[in-house]
Amino acid sequence: MNNLLLKSVGILAFTATAAVAQAPRDDSFEKVARGRYLATLADCSACHTAAGGAPFAGGVVLQTPFGDLVGANITPDPDTGIGRYTEEEFQRVMSEGIGKGGYHLYGAMPFTAYTKVSKSDNSAIYAYLRSVEPVRNKVETNQLPFPFNIRASLIGWNFLNFSKGEFEKNPDRSAEWNRGAYIVEGLGHCGTCHTPKTSLGGDENDRFLEGATLQNWHAPNITADRHRGIGSWSTDEIVQYLKTGTNRFDTASGPMAEEVENSSQHWNDADLNAVAVYLKESRTSATEVPDALDADDTRIVAGKNIYADRCSACHTPDGNGIPRLFPKLSSAPLVNSDDPTSLIRVVLAGSRAGGTQASPTGPAMPSFAWNLSDDDVANVLTYIRNRWGNSAVPVAASEVKELREQLQE
Amino acid sequence: MKPPLPFKQSRRHFLASGVAAIFVAVASTAGATIIKGVAPFKPFDYNPPETLGTGGWYFFTPQEARLMEALVECLIPADELSVSGLDAGCAEFIDRQLAGSYGTFERLYMQGPFVAGTPEQGDQSPLVPQRRYRLGLAALERHCQQTLGKSFVELPGEQKDQVITSVQNGEIVFKDIDSKMFFAILLQNTMEGFFADPIYGGNRDMVSWKMLGFPGARYDYRDYIDRHNEKLDLPPLSISGRPEWHKKG
Repeated sequence: MNNLLLKSVGILAFTATAAVAQAPRDDSFEKVARGRYLATLADCSACHTAAGGAPFAGGVVLQTPFGDLVGANITPDPDTGIGRYTEEEFQRVMSEGIGKGGYHLYGAMPFTAYTKVSKSDNSAIYAYLRSVEPVRNKVETNQLPFPFNIRASLIGWNFLNFSKGEFEKNPDRSAEWNRGAYIVEGLGHCGTCHTPKTSLGGDENDRFLEGATLQNWHAPNITADRHRGIGSWSTDEIVQYLKTGTNRFDTASGPMAEEVENSSQHWNDADLNAVAVYLKESRTSATEVPDALDADDTRIVAGKNIYADRCSACHTPDGNGIPRLFPKLSSAPLVNSDDPTSLIRVVLAGSRAGGTQASPTGPAMPSFAWNLSDDDVANVLTYIRNRWGNSAVPVAASEVKELREQLQE
Repeated sequence: MKPPLPFKQSRRHFLASGVAAIFVAVASTAGATIIKGVAPFKPFDYNPPETLGTGGWYFFTPQEARLMEALVECLIPADELSVSGLDAGCAEFIDRQLAGSYGTFERLYMQGPFVAGTPEQGDQSPLVPQRRYRLGLAALERHCQQTLGKSFVELPGEQKDQVITSVQNGEIVFKDIDSKMFFAILLQNTMEGFFADPIYGGNRDMVSWKMLGFPGARYDYRDYIDRHNEKLDLPPLSISGRPEWHKKG
């Protein structure tokens, strides 16, 4: 009897589900799947999924020059997440940086880039975020000190740093280039790390993608500049870097390793190609290239000896590295950057490349903080920045000292 | 039908269970873990050689230190080839080694039974290096005071050599420790101090490596592979670097 009852309830439930599935719905599998891909493309998890935490439940601390901001809980939990957001309200977050109830979001949420995202893409991302597991996790996103913690100040900030508007195609360019521009300038929000910032933390848009420093990492110039940028990389090599985390020039490290692991290794080939085409064919930075230091400069002489004894076994005596394993130092964008922060950091603290499906090893650079002095680090970096076709401003021991203290805090 | 013998094990069984026990012991002390995916990485993580700072004595008393300095100078006197064992820092080297894991044979099995074995069975003494030096140095000093009326350090050079030669070949017999064994460890450690990396306190300024033309802890010779029949004169390299790292002028 009981059995029969259970069975009939089961059948009823089944027919009910089937009836719902047949009706045209806004959260169809295709739409949610597309939203999932777009959320991956946008690397939402970088700020909204804490290490070891539930997906999109927030809690990643972003250290800005103004103080700490924390990624919000964007699961559909009604109280601590965005469960009460309508699609229109979500749309407004993305395109205007305005949250439910009209409060202003800080620019750490890259709405200055997301404003370019199309309405239909936002709709798909919304559908996907509605489908993830709701997690109750209260996040205090604004942990800035006074006066930056006053959100009303963002009205003025937006006036100076934000221009609203969906991406507009450039009719003079190919469809592929336009797709690349849409990703790089919009969802991919590459400029959030790679574009120099004003004193207010806004993007210096006339120096788009020319490199910037955040959280003691320098995100290098990724324009088509052949000296400081990736102008000497072919489109295939850019694709390989984004897909596998490594190519014959370089290996992704630090925040870029996370980006490759969580985001770009999952992009489809058409999008990867589009981004590469756009980066190759958009802009180049026209800053002057400094002259390389003379071979008999005392810093170069000392650096050469340190390089031979501590670096050359992996990076090879001529700075060519080993493709896809040890980064090439000659003609490398990061090595030629004006800002040596990332270079100092990887020598001091060591670093590990991201592991991807295509390249799972994730080779690591050991820490040299214990047996290279500030002078040694400065000299060896000055050497690699001024040899094999490289030329960049020398590194000072004081810069090494400062970063050593900051990183070991 | 044979009665069961629960406690009788074959030799093979015994050895196998011993190996298993060692594995368990190693795994638990080393905190062994299974690593899946990408190997763990921590910034600023490194595994440096264990060294103690320069200056002062960590194990030897001031009297022992004076005696040690005289002994390493006898074993490696300054000559046209190199500075002495004293100036190379051999006494400091031995002091630091005795203060570290070597001093107590931390890594060796040091439980009994202690039975004098054949020479082929190697060192069977229950004395750890710290004890060998403490007892040996005291016995040597007592011998000098009693038979020669002077401290070892006050003896003229030739007489010092005679005394330690007699210790070496067992003509002088110590009460608490085999004199030959004491000399053997002293000579062994003095040579180690003379040739080991300078970060351990000996081989000061890489003197012995310069003497030999040993290029030190280098790992990359690709620049030199094709340079045949050429004297390279590579300056030696210590774990802590070399003078050429530092700017001149």
